[in-house]
Amino acid sequence: MTTRLEGPDKVTGKAVYSSDVRLPGQLYAKVLRSPHPHAKVMRIDTSRAEALAGVRAGVSALNGPDITWHDDTRLLDTTVRYVGDEVAAVAADSEEIAQDALRLIEVEYLPLAFDVVHGKAADTKVQERGNVLAGLREADVTVEETYTTGTALHNALESHGCTAAWEGDELTLYESTQGIFAVRDEVAEKLGLPKDKVRVITPHMGGGFGAKQIAWKHSVIAALLAKRAGRPVQLMLDRTEENLASGNRNATRQHVRLGARRDGTLTAIDARIEFQSGAYKVGGEDSDLTGTYMTLYRCENVRAEQTSMKVNAGASVAFRGPGYVEANFALESAMDELARRLGIDPIELRLRNYAVRDQSEDKPYTSPQSLRRCIERVADVFDWRRKRKGIGFAAHDWLAGGGWPPATVEVTLRDGRAEVLVGVQDIGTGPRTALAQIAAAELGLPVEAVDVHLGDTKPGLYGPTSAGSTTLATIGPALAEAARKAKKSGHGRAERGDNPQDKAIRTCGAQCAEVEVDLETGEVTVLRVVAAHDCGRIINPLLVESQVIGGVTQGVGFALSEERVMDERLGESLNANLEEYKVPTARDIPEIVNATESMPDLEANALGTKGIGEPPIIPTAAAIANAIFDATGVRIRDLPITRDKILTALNHETVRILESSHA
Amino acid sequence: MRPFEYSNPATLDALLGAIGPQARPLAGGTDLLTLIKADLATPERLVNVKALLPRGIEAKPEGLEIGALTTLAEIEEHPVVRDGYAALAQAVSLAASPQIRNLATVGGNLLQRPRCWYFRNARIDCWLKGGEECPARDGQNRNHAILRGGPCYAVHPSDIVPALMAFDAAVRVVGPDGERWIELEDFMQPPTEERRTETVLAPDELVTAVRLPPHPEPTRSLYRKAMDRKIWAFALAGVACALRLSGRKIAHARIVLSGVAPVPIRAEAAERELLGREPSADRFAAAAGAALQDARPLRHNGYKVPLTQALVRQALTTLTE
Repeated sequence: MTTRLEGPDKVTGKAVYSSDVRLPGQLYAKVLRSPHPHAKVMRIDTSRAEALAGVRAGVSALNGPDITWHDDTRLLDTTVRYVGDEVAAVAADSEEIAQDALRLIEVEYLPLAFDVVHGKAADTKVQERGNVLAGLREADVTVEETYTTGTALHNALESHGCTAAWEGDELTLYESTQGIFAVRDEVAEKLGLPKDKVRVITPHMGGGFGAKQIAWKHSVIAALLAKRAGRPVQLMLDRTEENLASGNRNATRQHVRLGARRDGTLTAIDARIEFQSGAYKVGGEDSDLTGTYMTLYRCENVRAEQTSMKVNAGASVAFRGPGYVEANFALESAMDELARRLGIDPIELRLRNYAVRDQSEDKPYTSPQSLRRCIERVADVFDWRRKRKGIGFAAHDWLAGGGWPPATVEVTLRDGRAEVLVGVQDIGTGPRTALAQIAAAELGLPVEAVDVHLGDTKPGLYGPTSAGSTTLATIGPALAEAARKAKKSGHGRAERGDNPQDKAIRTCGAQCAEVEVDLETGEVTVLRVVAAHDCGRIINPLLVESQVIGGVTQGVGFALSEERVMDERLGESLNANLEEYKVPTARDIPEIVNATESMPDLEANALGTKGIGEPPIIPTAAAIANAIFDATGVRIRDLPITRDKILTALNHETVRILESSHA
Repeated sequence: MRPFEYSNPATLDALLGAIGPQARPLAGGTDLLTLIKADLATPERLVNVKALLPRGIEAKPEGLEIGALTTLAEIEEHPVVRDGYAALAQAVSLAASPQIRNLATVGGNLLQRPRCWYFRNARIDCWLKGGEECPARDGQNRNHAILRGGPCYAVHPSDIVPALMAFDAAVRVVGPDGERWIELEDFMQPPTEERRTETVLAPDELVTAVRLPPHPEPTRSLYRKAMDRKIWAFALAGVACALRLSGRKIAHARIVLSGVAPVPIRAEAAERELLGREPSADRFAAAAGAALQDARPLRHNGYKVPLTQALVRQALTTLTE
């Protein structure tokens, strides 16, 4: 089996990440951030900071260039809207000097009213077909419940950051990003440069999970400081900044109504959703919670309404399966509740209702039976029919996973080796390796004879942002075509064609979880998760398994322990660190069985492959929550499912009396 | 981190002369450096104690003496600790991470500051940092004290201290007036208006050793800890328990609770429920009830009462199986 081609570079430290870049004369920058959740910046005095030995450049809300940022605010705005909002920045000979300089900047704030909990409704999106009220009237059994999910933070191992270097009027950014072209275009626009004057390089990156699919302010700040200082500037966020100011999975509140006939046929799905979008709308993939409700199950009467709420907290941004992860927890918990009320096995209920066509687009799916295959496969491998306490199931779909054209690929044969040139980046998911395998197979070469060049905008071969689990399905088919051409003439170039117009592409899957709960202490132990997903043709089984393990791991955190905690009186995050924001440890992670089968989807593209990056996180929380209900008899509808919630549910009267006696 | 001086005294006398409110002793640094980095401690000078204080575990007639510089990892691996003081070995294994246990010292463990998320955020004013009020009292307090809370509701983070207290440990303190031994239970004291720390140690004093008195065999002991994940988290609640049977009756019992009060506390009412009685599920339930009889939870931490009771019951059950 082919292992990661870049693996040796990573384990030996040879692989260069953004924070490893060292250019001659390089400076280090730090950002001064707002200590207020909402305030007007009245005065900034940087004179003492500028006078500090080793400080080479500074920029602030009061002396920065007039660069428009999201929601028509400024790069460094004179109104700050959350704790962590950028106010000023300095570049110095060392990080320590830069940090010292920040303490010397005097800022006078006028605090303003703020809200970190409820917020103001920013925009509402409604999707609807049929008549939900009529559907509910038709139902023999209904479920009506409210589900909530917490704010989850990406916390990629590598923080956001870049090194910016100018040569004349040309800017090079060594950036930790999922989208080299997205960053190039946006930074060029903000700085008023032609696109070809900005070059973005990302040879390796240490995780993004969606939070690195857009250009953030730090890239432009680093470029401005580098220009002012006349020297390269490195600006890496620290862990606190990463937790405050680099995106999050928005908290949600979902009021769900389901109706079904006695035989389990769904007659209505209704969801009213509120989610916290943070202080700004920063762009990138939208968090669409309506999608899951509209498409996972066959149902004539569906309505999903989502309202984003602005709060004085860090902005939300795409996070692995954005919207689908949160919605899946609510819908698949509700389906479990419905199954129990109907007295129908939860898996059987899904098999009676899964959709074979995209009901929103009114098109058949390219792989209409792949969800059935995943459900049956996972039930089989998990041995679902063997009844035992503490088991749960969830199915999912995901809107993306097909191609995201345009994209251009070049293959050149030289001295018995093949050079593959693409404009995508390897965000840690392994496209270097998978693409080398595709080219090698077409060319009849060993995979070691293929060199894949990616992560650089300079050659000008466009590739899409790594988002929506689309990289392989976008580049793979075009690469196969370019390789075929190169085999004939020594050089081949191909463009990624459009997705099919008459059919809809989706990915989907199913997971089963087994848990053990100590009813006295509320301790949850996840014993086993079995996952089967539709990713079309599997190019590299090890890379697929890596994504399944990673997604389920992140899903365990979302289900059981990860949540940003805010003090609503202070507007402060209380756990902007890895001590109190609890990502799961190796001991929290169960045996994860990857039961994913190769099922080439030749209607999706000629190679038959689809993405696997996001799907594995999507159904994990619901499968675990359903297993916890099965183990305890109490239904926790609020993620993460921590001990306090389980113990409070199990000892409801006692705990309530204790807590109210103090107030 | 703000700049500070570093000094390296050559003798214990020089060391004692060098420390004070603005000159803090540095051993493993696993807590002090995090406080400095977070701007919560701003000493002008750090004074190295690593060359001068005792390190290692020694069996003496008065008991097992653990030098202040002994690392947690050394305690965890020590055969006498593993054999005779199981609760201590277990508490160390459940504390922090291997990397931290390789550096952190037992002396520093006694003196570490709370992990309360209001206390640890330099932007937030709190009583323990010299402010007027405790923001946790009516704030996000799911991790906070249900016993002996107020004016500070932070819980003491140590797993080691409750285990040491279960063995009636004493602490050797050296200061300008010489050397004294203090019972660990008296050494750990909730902060007061005048002394906003968790111990009675003065700024010009040092902890040099911890002593565990010999205990007649067979004393069984155990430490249990509830966390938000399986490992690498501070206790939501914990219990250190030491028990000795004489015939079928309980002749000696120590129950020390962690994660529920500003310092680890002995549950003497629970111990009284056990002494002279035969082990039984009902007895253990009565002890668990007594351990929490004075609990006064806040808005978000009522769950700690059934949780701690369960830990006490489970610990007693395991020890008498």
